[in-house]
Amino acid sequence: MTLWSRLRSWLRTILQRARMESEMDAELRFHMEARAEDLIRGGVPCEVALRRARLEFGGVESAKEECREARGAGFIESLLQDIRFGSRMLRKSPGFTAVAVLTLALGIGASAAVFSLVNAILLRPLPYPESSRIVLPELVSPPGVNLGSEYFPWGQLQFRMLTRDANPFQTVAAFQNDSFNLTGSGEPSFLDGFRASQEFFSTLGVAPALGRSFTTDEDQPGHEYEVILSDRLWRERFASDRNILGRTIELNEYAYAVVGVMPAGFAFPRAEEMPSSFNFPREPLLWVPLALPAEPKPGLSELAVIGRLKPGVTTQQAQAAMDLVTRHAEEQDHRWIGWFNTRVVPLQRQVVGDTRHPLQLMLGAVCIVLLIACSNVANLLLTRSLGRRREFTLRAALGAGRARLIRQSLTESLLISVAAGAVGILIANAAIYFVKMLGPANLPRLREVTLDLPVLAFALAVSLATGILFGLAPAIGAARDNLADSLREGSQKSGGSRMSPRLRNALLVSQVALALVLVVAAGLLTRTFFQLLGADGGFNAERVLTFQLPLPAVKYAEQDHIVTLFGSLLERLRVIPGVQSAGIGETVPMGGEGESTVIRMPDHPAASQKEMPFANFTVISPGFFAAVGTPLLRGRDFQETDATDSLPVAIVNKAMERKYWPREGALGKQVGPGSTRFPLLTIVGVVPDVKHASLREETAPEMYVLYNQKPWPSLLNMRVALRTKSDPAAVTGSLRDAIHAIDPDLPLAKVATLTTLVDDSMAQPRFSVFLLGAFGVLALLLASIGMYGVISYSVLQRTQEIGIRMALGAQRRKVFGMVLGQGARLAGLGIAIGLVAALGVTHLMASFLYGVRPTDPLTFAGVSLLLLGIALLACYLPARRAMRVDPMVALKYE
Amino acid sequence: MTKPIDLLQGTLDMLILKAVSLGPLHGYGVLLRIQQISKDRLEIQQGSLYPALYRLEHQGWITSEWGESENKRKAKYYRLTAAGKRRFQAETEKWNRMADVIAGILSTTPEEV
Repeated sequence: MTLWSRLRSWLRTILQRARMESEMDAELRFHMEARAEDLIRGGVPCEVALRRARLEFGGVESAKEECREARGAGFIESLLQDIRFGSRMLRKSPGFTAVAVLTLALGIGASAAVFSLVNAILLRPLPYPESSRIVLPELVSPPGVNLGSEYFPWGQLQFRMLTRDANPFQTVAAFQNDSFNLTGSGEPSFLDGFRASQEFFSTLGVAPALGRSFTTDEDQPGHEYEVILSDRLWRERFASDRNILGRTIELNEYAYAVVGVMPAGFAFPRAEEMPSSFNFPREPLLWVPLALPAEPKPGLSELAVIGRLKPGVTTQQAQAAMDLVTRHAEEQDHRWIGWFNTRVVPLQRQVVGDTRHPLQLMLGAVCIVLLIACSNVANLLLTRSLGRRREFTLRAALGAGRARLIRQSLTESLLISVAAGAVGILIANAAIYFVKMLGPANLPRLREVTLDLPVLAFALAVSLATGILFGLAPAIGAARDNLADSLREGSQKSGGSRMSPRLRNALLVSQVALALVLVVAAGLLTRTFFQLLGADGGFNAERVLTFQLPLPAVKYAEQDHIVTLFGSLLERLRVIPGVQSAGIGETVPMGGEGESTVIRMPDHPAASQKEMPFANFTVISPGFFAAVGTPLLRGRDFQETDATDSLPVAIVNKAMERKYWPREGALGKQVGPGSTRFPLLTIVGVVPDVKHASLREETAPEMYVLYNQKPWPSLLNMRVALRTKSDPAAVTGSLRDAIHAIDPDLPLAKVATLTTLVDDSMAQPRFSVFLLGAFGVLALLLASIGMYGVISYSVLQRTQEIGIRMALGAQRRKVFGMVLGQGARLAGLGIAIGLVAALGVTHLMASFLYGVRPTDPLTFAGVSLLLLGIALLACYLPARRAMRVDPMVALKYE
Repeated sequence: MTKPIDLLQGTLDMLILKAVSLGPLHGYGVLLRIQQISKDRLEIQQGSLYPALYRLEHQGWITSEWGESENKRKAKYYRLTAAGKRRFQAETEKWNRMADVIAGILSTTPEEV
């Protein structure tokens, strides 16, 4: 009953505040008037009766306050009052409010956006059940063998040994990428897919949304003609037809029965989630059984392996078990020694992979922005509270309790931070939208990024903490003040205690220092970016069109057949109007890694098989170098006269020449694939180093061989490069005609200009530069606002002093210089501290840089000057104001 | 007339409950009633009357409603609730016991110790 009445009374207070107030007024007025009437009846004259009644009653306002408290609504009541008062004060100085809210909102928004990225990409578990148990057992290259990558594909035999012997795994599966030419239903198209062993889907813990996964029987050679479609392929190609199950589709001219459709969003493995040297397709669209032969082939294969650990087994235990398998294999057969080193990597870490570093960079940058924003707002609040000291002391003198004063100023800063939090969330949402739109396609899990609850909570916590921290400091200062002294002094002159300018200066100096660190980092990345743009990739990307020409293995089983095809294809391509030169190659620049192989050189005999050198091994046609714009450094290019039965020839890159024949040069030397089944080739030319995946890569030794001189790898998946006279897009039509005139079933895949490929490879550095540059600009902006605030406040404070100086004959120019000097000193200190900090920090980002040292003096000096300039600019306005101080006005100011 | 004495701490609530137990009263009426019953021997701070009324209402001992005063004006009348009645009885008993004990202590003579 009483609890209910109390609740009711609270509710009434909140909901019917206005009515309660007017009722209280009416009640007290009635009291006073009734008392006055009684007094009149008692003989008191009319004019004085009401006044007497009031005097008898005592303090009406304090009685009302007590009444409100008695109603149990004191807290809520004064909170509402504080909020009302606070928002009135904030509205009264819209400039301050806008700057404070925007500053904080930018900081909160930027950090919430980056935290969303980090949360979605690094922290949130992968979208597979118990994903922490999924690992990638990777093969590592034997020590001393340089394949250009530390990874090594699994062989069939090794995978068989793994399934038989190693058993930290509940299930383990192998997979291998493959391309499928889908014919029979509409336009032939070329689809990326995987051949996967039976346990593939159960290892990931994902079942098809429609139908079933492969059975053990289906994972056998001869029975492997079943296919599981991705949701996207099913949707786009088969119009989400639920009756697709059991129907057959034609892939690479074989009939495959559709047995399942995966759930939406499932596309394992995506290229960006796997080691880049695997060269996987961006998004697989279908899966067919791997069907390894019962007697696995010894030697190299191209398998990747994935495993699900048994419950409770840690990665370390799995690694130990794998090491045991390795030792066992090495004991049984010495040829395994060094070739079966494994590393068990949790899938989560693999997926996140190299993204961890750029994200950590962003995280660091955004923390700096947030720090600058917070210290800026702190400075604003401090400055403002000093300006309002008189108001606070007056209120204290009128009887406001210290707690009440603190609460008041807390409410105000909380209002600011709540508003900033709200605006910040909007900014974060916008930022996430742009990052998703503009972010590089190879950033894993980008599509999973959302502004979620933990991040929102984080943003709110940051804003509230800022509000409390920096609202409290000035309030405590105000409450501690000596009332009498403050009232006696003028509000302008009394610059607060001696501590506060020092605190404000320290905040400002730290802002400048932090901004410097950030802008130096952004500057280094920008220079890296331009270095990359200007980097020599060994080719000329202008007006080059490239595409992939996957040949159906059934139709083109004979290598001679392919050679004939390519010969006539090149002939036809070269006569297309607008085509300057045409060539075929296994890879094109920026098109991804190529093959690499063991090589032998008669003049560099290897001591043992383990020490045999590796080199990239690329099959090309005559005209390829002309088409991609790679100049010949020495010797001659491949020619049409280099035929199947003429002298086998090779061309090597500069890196290879430098490594093996640094003095005498490579021309005339002999080199060949590791196996003696292939003849030695005579080197006839040297070309510059052509980069494959990224302009920043270190190029490995590479040799080029002719497609028609019986090279070792298959020619089923070659690329074509066409240098055109004008716009490459103009020739695509006649290009298709030329190809289909030879074979109407040939699909064209990955049609792209070389410029696009270069652009794609630059996506990640461009993104980093863009984000860090944005943060740098933000930091500069915030620091200059801070500088402007501090200096203009100090000018305001020193108005009287400046007036006296002028009255005593100081020149205006000198006053101007004095104010600028003050700003320059603070900025200089900040820059000095920032430079030291930056020197300590930038070496951490060495891996992001290309062609620029982490201590690049040009960047450091440039950024310091930039910051000094901006600081002086921010001081310019207040300095001019100081210069214009009228001594008379200033002296009368008090 | 002797000089009125100040109210003991905590007794105003009890006096208000007593006053309204005799019939609904507005705030000024409570003041008059207490002065009348006490024959003007108690000095009540008018300013402290209303916070006490609000407190009692918040606790649920009394309830209020707007009515018409003797001179046809709108006034807020307070009434004792059932809970208030029980509370008043309990408080009265407590006060009487307390008064007895205090009186007993104060009337003790040296011989009785």
